[in-house]
Amino acid sequence: MTEEESLEKLKRAIIKGDPQKAILLANESIKMGIQAKEILNRAILKGAEEAGKLYEEGEYFLPDLLMTGDAINAATEILKSSFDQKSGIESKGIILIGTVEGDIHDLGKSLVVSLLKGQGFDVVDLGSDVPPEEFLRKAKEINPKLIGLSGLMTMSISKMIETVNLLKSENIQSRIIIGGGIMSKESCEMVGADDFAKDGWEGVKKINNLI
Amino acid sequence: MVKDWAASVNRIFRTIGGSKRVDKVPFLAFAGEQMICRVTGKTVKELYSSPKIYANAIISTFEFLDADSINVPSAYAGPIEALAFAEANNKLDAIKWFDYKPLMCKQGIICKTEEDIDNLEIPDHGKINIWKTSLQAAKMINEKIHFPQVISLSIWSVVQELRGIEAYKDMRRNPDLLLKLCEKVYESQMDVYENWLEIVGMPPNVFIAGYSFNRHMMSFQDAMRYEGQFIKRMMNKIKVPFMLHNCGISPYFTEVVKEIDFIAVNGSHPLDIEYWIDFKKQHPKIVIIGANIDVSREMLTGTPSDVEEKVKENILSLAPGGRYICCPVCSLPWGVPIPNILAIPRAIEKYGHYPIKID
Repeated sequence: MTEEESLEKLKRAIIKGDPQKAILLANESIKMGIQAKEILNRAILKGAEEAGKLYEEGEYFLPDLLMTGDAINAATEILKSSFDQKSGIESKGIILIGTVEGDIHDLGKSLVVSLLKGQGFDVVDLGSDVPPEEFLRKAKEINPKLIGLSGLMTMSISKMIETVNLLKSENIQSRIIIGGGIMSKESCEMVGADDFAKDGWEGVKKINNLI
Repeated sequence: MVKDWAASVNRIFRTIGGSKRVDKVPFLAFAGEQMICRVTGKTVKELYSSPKIYANAIISTFEFLDADSINVPSAYAGPIEALAFAEANNKLDAIKWFDYKPLMCKQGIICKTEEDIDNLEIPDHGKINIWKTSLQAAKMINEKIHFPQVISLSIWSVVQELRGIEAYKDMRRNPDLLLKLCEKVYESQMDVYENWLEIVGMPPNVFIAGYSFNRHMMSFQDAMRYEGQFIKRMMNKIKVPFMLHNCGISPYFTEVVKEIDFIAVNGSHPLDIEYWIDFKKQHPKIVIIGANIDVSREMLTGTPSDVEEKVKENILSLAPGGRYICCPVCSLPWGVPIPNILAIPRAIEKYGHYPIKID
């Protein structure tokens, strides 16, 4: 098998959302001597991009993207464990993310976390039902490039406002994005965030633009 | 002034039945525990402490809002159903209580593993305290104001509470396991229905919280597989008209009404009124509950005049010919100013009397 064929197979496993196959093929690519950066860019990220395109075209749905996310994570873990610091895989930055206090929904957030990790971001996921003070404490500790506040319910907007006000009053400079099905330009302005996303895939794209 | 509930019953149920003998557009409000706490000053645990306290608090809230509808918010396949599963399976750590809003279930805890699904015990709703209180409260509302209580059932809403994000992955990696869970949830929903029959009586309608019917969550084929087929089975057992609720941002209303015989649809999207005008043209016999009065926009940040304008637009677009119930999209959240809610019945009074005057 050529280098090209090996990467193509891995890309297919990412698109199909097959974590087991992705692990096998990532290992195979490493054994063939392909550089980590090449595997990441030409197979893993390419696969993620194509899966996202299929989602936008209505061919793929949330379950497919979640499986792609699992395959990406499985493959990148192999890369991380097989190469040293000079492997060429650099972090694109730290992102702090969580579902705001009083809201326990985490579907969109989980998709965002999974895909961002695969794209080379260091993602710190605070989970769901996160109080504003916890966002602040962690932001001070890790100085993220971006903070993502997730929430599905209308009532989450007021908690997002509270969280953003607290972060800004403590001079946290990170970009802020809010995510959830009910988010709009109006709610984004009301919250004082830099941008908003209505679903996980849109969130991933907008985060890449914001950073 | 004493609320005329008999008039509201006629208004709502005649509209649902497609009758021409309706005086004005009905106002349906989704007022959850949060709104009831806000109006009555009670905590959620105080509300649930006795059926009488709960029923009276519900009645005063819906009367305060001048709504034509009334329902027991906890008696649906949402967090309280998750609590029932948590109790039956000794997993109460999945539940988080709040003072002034409904409890929540940490998604994916109750059915974390395959074994959890295999061993999942179906709750006996007759033995779960909150369900007993909720059903007794529904009975009391029936008796006190003679408003027949509509039962709300669901499959996917409960599956998501129990299995969380893994349910979506199961669709691709282990569909049989997911169907097993759906089957158990169906069984549990039938237990809710049996208890409802025994305590509250025969419901006039079933209100399906069909959260799967949303493009953002899954394909339509998957929605039919993991929820639709079970709704069809419910319809074979419960011989009353069914209504569909979906508050997702890309609902499959036009697709689903071709497959399942719903008498009414209620959603929070699309917000484009043209979608609903077209829906009414395509499906003149299906009642539209809602349209586009947005709880996160004009109701939250606008003025009573903004809300009035939206209600007027909804009524003029959708009420002519009947089969339209005015309703803000989804549940009324804590921060919505009360004058903005009360602007709805006032606007209906102004523009919603039949025959609707288009000018």
